[in-house]
Formats: sequence, structure tokens, C-alpha cells
Amino acid sequence: MGKDRNVRMSLQTLKVLEAFLENPTDELSGSDVQKRSSLASGTLYPILLRLESAGWFVSRWETIDPSSAGRPRRRLYRLTPTGLTRASEVFASFGRGVLA
Amino acid sequence: MNRRHIVPPPSPPGCADDLPGWSEGLTRWLIQHAARNAPSALSERLEEEWLADLAERSGALARLRFGIGCCWATRVIAYEYSVPKVLAAASTTGNKVMNAYAQPDYSLFSRRTLAFVLIVGLHGIFIFALANGLVHTAIEVIPHRIQAIVLPGIQTPVEQPPPISQPTLSATVVRIPQREETPEFPPENLPTERGVGAQVEGPGAPPPSTPVHSVTRVLGGPGKAFPNTNDFYPSRAIRNGEKGVVTVNACVDDKGRLTAAPTVAKTSGSASLDDGALQLAKAGSGHYRPTTEDGRPVSSCYEFMVRYQLKE
Repeated sequence: MGKDRNVRMSLQTLKVLEAFLENPTDELSGSDVQKRSSLASGTLYPILLRLESAGWFVSRWETIDPSSAGRPRRRLYRLTPTGLTRASEVFASFGRGVLA
Repeated sequence: MNRRHIVPPPSPPGCADDLPGWSEGLTRWLIQHAARNAPSALSERLEEEWLADLAERSGALARLRFGIGCCWATRVIAYEYSVPKVLAAASTTGNKVMNAYAQPDYSLFSRRTLAFVLIVGLHGIFIFALANGLVHTAIEVIPHRIQAIVLPGIQTPVEQPPPISQPTLSATVVRIPQREETPEFPPENLPTERGVGAQVEGPGAPPPSTPVHSVTRVLGGPGKAFPNTNDFYPSRAIRNGEKGVVTVNACVDDKGRLTAAPTVAKTSGSASLDDGALQLAKAGSGHYRPTTEDGRPVSSCYEFMVRYQLKE
């Protein structure tokens, strides 16, 4: 997968980026992003994979013991430095100034 | 990662007990079905990730929507993953590879099924429209009020006998041959012209002084109790928008009853309008106004017109 590729910006993609930009260091699962962006699963997961393929996100499995935690491990996504820069540029171009 | 490491996610507390079993099973089947149809490199990851995110959702409907959304996500992801592969293959081996490339179908329904459902749906909409809106529109096209007017009978002027001028008697003496026989017919039995007094002309006869007898004749026509003509406007003529005037000849006795079948004296150009006028004339038997001569009803034949017109 290529890194730092251009990503086609849509309103849904902006919502996903905005969910991460609330606290750029947070690691969010798909369920967390869905709660923040109110996107349907059919829209959200292709965007997450698209941004990960473009190098804007990285993902990893949650390091818990499912049996002791009583729930399965989740897939966590986090903004990369490249993703943070590009996302900030995108929002700055819209005049939002999210990270200003 | 290995599939056996996937731990089935427990249902969220307070949720699993009140969920119908089939709904939970259907949601899990949708997610697993979607994940298996995803590109093989992502299949196991997506299944575990989606099942883990499903565990954080509560509510049967929300979970079912999540499962259906995963099916759609698989379709999008598979499409996005297939495009780079096709482009890469085409760039290395040419277009022939692209022609032979068989892209897996990740949709739940085949195109043929979707086309069939679409056709059935369009037929249903068309039938529904026919049963409601279009029929209503067709009824609205037909005018509500229809007015048929029976024109009064043709008042042909009663022929008044021309005034008879006093004959100018000439001085010529007419010789009447002497006849020995008694005339076979008395003078009063000689044929006389109707309405005109007989005149006998002869020597020594007094000048004609018999008064002229004229008859006042008033032709009859449809009476007051004549049937309503709206009831005899043929429905076919209404649908076709036909209108016109039919002249009917009717023979009526002194009681206003038909003495013979009425006939069309002048057609309107429409067979259905002519039939309607004849039906009206027959139905009006007994309700005609008879012709009068000097105020006395008499039998006669006369014509009257029936006008059919559509009220806008």
C-alpha cells in the first residue's frame, strides 16, 4: 500500500478526520469513530481502510486479554504525523483552523 | 492472524437477554458473510474487528443495521482493492489480461434478480396508477353537466286560403242548355274545395256571397310532460363528444299518442344521436301536444328537432 497518497475528500471523510482531530493522540476503534461521526458502518470502514492505505492512519490490535476483559480485542486507529499534517491542511483550506 | 484466535465476542450486558435469537444470529451471519467476501488479505481482520465493534452496540435494530452496513462496506472495500490490481495487471501484461479478469460479485443479489424486482415494481406502480389517478383523470375529462334541448316544433305557417276576390261578372250571358232530365247530383253535392265555399255560377244566380271559411291550424309538438332529453343522450355519443340536431317526424293522434313509429326526417350525422332521438320520441308517446284545428285536437304528423349539445 502506498504511503502519503492523496485521498479523495468527501464530507464523510472530513467527519472521520474531525473525530480524530479532537485529540490527535487518541487511539480510536471503529465503534468510537462511529459514535463521534455518526456515520454508518458501511461508510465508515471503507474510509478507515482508505486513510490507512494512504498512510494517514496506522492501526493495531488492542493489547488485552479477551477472556479476562470479557470482550474481544478491538482494532485501534491513530493519526500518523503525516495524516495529522495533511488533515490539518485540509481543514485549514476550508477555513476551519482546527489546529491553529 | 489465525482464525482460531478469534474469540467470539460476548453480548453486551443487558442486551443479549432481550434480543431475539434469530436477530443476533442474523447479524453475526451478515458480518461473517461480509468478511469472507472481502479481499482475502483483510477477511479475518475485518471479521474480528467488526465482531468486536458489534459487541459495543446495544439494541437489536442498531446491531442489525451494523451488520447490513458491513455488507455494504465489503462491497466498497472489494471494489477499491480490485481497481489497483486490474491497473497493475494491465500495465504489465496488456489489455488481454483485463478482458479475462473475472471480478468476484460481492453483491447479495444478482443483476438478474435486481432487474426482475425492478420490472415487477414498475408494473406495480403502473397498475396502482391506473387503479387510482389515471381513472380519476379520465372521469374528470367527461363534462359533468349535459344539456339536451328539445326545440319547439317547426311552426309551419298555416296556409290561409287567399282571399277570394269578388268575381267580376261579365255581361256575357251564359246559356244553359235546357235539360229535360233532372240533374243526378244536386248542386249541394258537388265537390267543393276545402274551406272555400262553392260557387255556382249561372244566369240569374245571385252574386256569390258565401262567407269564406278558414281553419286555424296549430301544429303540435312535445308536451310539458315529455321525457327528459338528458336521459336519452347516448353514452357513446357523450364519450365521443358528439353533438348535433336531429329532426324527428312523428305522427300523433288527438290524444298525443304516436300512431306510427317516429322516423328521422333529417339526420344529425351521428347514428347514435339519431337513435337517441328516436328513443326519446317513442318514450314521449302520450305526452305530445296534438295539432289543433280551430282549437280541436286532431291527428297529424309533424316534425320537431332534438338538439344534443355538451355543456362545457
